[in-house]
Amino acid sequence: MKYISILLLLIINVPLNAQNKQDRFEQSLMTLNNMLVDESQYNFKKAVLSVENAYFDGKLDTVAINKEIKMLTNLCYSLIENRFLAYVENDKKDVNKWASVYQVMCDSIPLIIKDKEYKYIPFKYDFDDVFGNQDISNMFVSKLLYTRKGNCHSLPYLYKILCEELGTTAHLALAPNHVYIKHKNKANGWYNTELTSGIFPNDAWLMASGYVHVDAIKNGVYMKALNNRESIALLLIDLANAYQKSFPDNDGSFPLICAEIATNAYPNFASALILKAEIHKRQLEKETNIEKGKANFKELEQEYAHIHEIGYRFMPEQMYLNWLVSLKTERDKFENKNLNTFNKQ
Amino acid sequence: MNKITAPLLYLLPFVMYSQNNGFEINTELQNPQNPYSAPTVQSLTPDSVYNDLIVTPLTQNNQQIMQEVEKNEAQLQKTREEVFREIAKMNNVFSYSLPSYSSLPATDYYYKAFEKLIQTDTSNYSISNTNFLIENAYYENTIDKENFDKIIKNSRDFILAKMKELNYNPNSNLAKNYMLFQFFSEHLKLKAEGTEHLPFKYDFEDYTGINDHSNMFVTNLLQTGTGQCHSMPLLYLILAEAINAEAYLALSPNHSYIRFPADNGKWYNIELTNGMFSTDSYILQSGYIKSEALQNNIYMQNLNNKELLGQQLTDLAQGYIHKFGYDEFVGKTIDKALELYPNSITANMIKASLDRVRFEYVAQQIGINPYDKEQLQQIRYFPEVVELLNTANAQFAKVGNLGYEPMPDDAYQKWLQAMNTEKEKQENETVKKQFKGVLENSKIKD
Repeated sequence: MKYISILLLLIINVPLNAQNKQDRFEQSLMTLNNMLVDESQYNFKKAVLSVENAYFDGKLDTVAINKEIKMLTNLCYSLIENRFLAYVENDKKDVNKWASVYQVMCDSIPLIIKDKEYKYIPFKYDFDDVFGNQDISNMFVSKLLYTRKGNCHSLPYLYKILCEELGTTAHLALAPNHVYIKHKNKANGWYNTELTSGIFPNDAWLMASGYVHVDAIKNGVYMKALNNRESIALLLIDLANAYQKSFPDNDGSFPLICAEIATNAYPNFASALILKAEIHKRQLEKETNIEKGKANFKELEQEYAHIHEIGYRFMPEQMYLNWLVSLKTERDKFENKNLNTFNKQ
Repeated sequence: MNKITAPLLYLLPFVMYSQNNGFEINTELQNPQNPYSAPTVQSLTPDSVYNDLIVTPLTQNNQQIMQEVEKNEAQLQKTREEVFREIAKMNNVFSYSLPSYSSLPATDYYYKAFEKLIQTDTSNYSISNTNFLIENAYYENTIDKENFDKIIKNSRDFILAKMKELNYNPNSNLAKNYMLFQFFSEHLKLKAEGTEHLPFKYDFEDYTGINDHSNMFVTNLLQTGTGQCHSMPLLYLILAEAINAEAYLALSPNHSYIRFPADNGKWYNIELTNGMFSTDSYILQSGYIKSEALQNNIYMQNLNNKELLGQQLTDLAQGYIHKFGYDEFVGKTIDKALELYPNSITANMIKASLDRVRFEYVAQQIGINPYDKEQLQQIRYFPEVVELLNTANAQFAKVGNLGYEPMPDDAYQKWLQAMNTEKEKQENETVKKQFKGVLENSKIKD
């Protein structure tokens, strides 16, 4: 009897758990969608945490994470107050905030607490599992905060979160397999901030990856300063990917909704278009009706053709790492020399 | 080359006057070559400023003097403001447009050329004719059109004869463009007639046309055999038109080049200044193309007929500026150019310079030196002048928002020469081989 009840519990428990997790994903989807429908609801920090929390089945310690973010924000504030920035245009207030976030992310900062000097160690780039293939949570901001090591996904996200906590903005921008930050100030116009190496690269570096087609830039697939709606679109695809990891055998309907909403907010978002096509492909493989299958196949072909047309090209992982490192090895060529004010000497 | 550089040269003393909220006027000096290195502000320690005061024993006296000086200063300021108000009342006396150069007889050639250009049917015109109009206006109608046409016709006959000799497919756009490419970059000889043609050379001496604006002209290229990225692509387009080949002009920072579709629909770039087929990635890596520039289609895009005519009107304006200077005719020409080609970076930059020149001219009339921060504040009594300043600032901002970034001359030269490195040469040879393969194949079919 005892055994039976335990067995029964197990049987009930498993689907219950799954149902719970499913709910959490749906809740997160609702949260993200609400931010798109009503822009006053927009909060990037909340959005990011909702995705990560769904994947962790509600077990994410959001209190600790918020505390950590609060601590970093305070560090930014004290930097703004206590150091001198040689910048004279009238948007100095924002530039100062960006510079402080950048320092907190990439610079070691001496801290004096009770007459003792400590050294603040910045975040580091994690060369392991850069695409989150082994564990998707390697891409998460929470992982970055726990381990202080992150990648081109978590680092720019945290940067954006900190900027918004300070009451300013930061634009995410995409490159093949990559996310970086764009800002526009009065003196420099648009410029790039690369958090994985802490360098301000010029656009030529991004173009030199070899996988950025001119059309992709023209169509805003890559290198476009994303607005808040488009940033939420990025999170929707993160959510879909996390869902696929949690439920490998899903029927594709949930990720498809995510991709659908994402492309509404950001029509030329390559990852969303690819995800959509992949799910359609999966569904096509299960299609039994031959006539319908043929029609769907034609549509699928058009989908892939469109992705190619807007300029997307696949970039292999090793190529990506080589390119990422090239910024350090060929720093002279790819560094934005105009940003003397901020560049590390 | 000149297309973008020439206006850049006028921009060198690039001053942005920027206005804060309301009437608070602020000047901010920017250096175009390096606008980003913000000048470091030296903080003055109190000691250094007040040292003298502390040393002198007559501190009290000094304070009195200071007060008096301040009082006088305030008085002076008041008078000054009154004077400015007086001047403002006489607003009508001032001219808000630049004085015209029309009294100079040579300007008439430009006015006539302009009239002819704007009557051009944008969907169907001859680039050979429009370009001739522009160059002839500079030479005050002294070049012989018949002679020019004859040279073009001879070149055309030479190209067609050589195509026939090489057995190229006369209907293939690839073959035609490849032949044109050879005409520019190789030493060619017609076996039957024994006539020869030497390749055109790049002009390292005066590639921006600073010394002599006519160095940018096609007529000059035909005469001397040397040219740069302005005259060479233009001659290419003229010859392409003559042999009925499809080819387009495209722009990149300080530069213009040729794009053409091969028979399979694939697009290729031709870099005429060194006779190579350049790749998109090479052009992108010049380092001065911002992603915003591509999103706004200011670079690496075929110019259609309308845009090309807009570009030609910009050429006309540049010749005029070179010869005479800025006046309202430049404004008229540029407005028309922008109507045809709204995102033209060259036209937008000339417009910005013109707006600046106009503002400075008017500011000087009311006795204000716009480079002096304090004096500039006084323009607040002249709403029209404030308006001019705002227009100029908005235009400069527009140029920036289009994604333009100034490319220094040495960076440009370095970029152009980097094309002769082994890697680029190899890529060029690969493309050439491909073309030759296609051309051989098409021969057999015929």
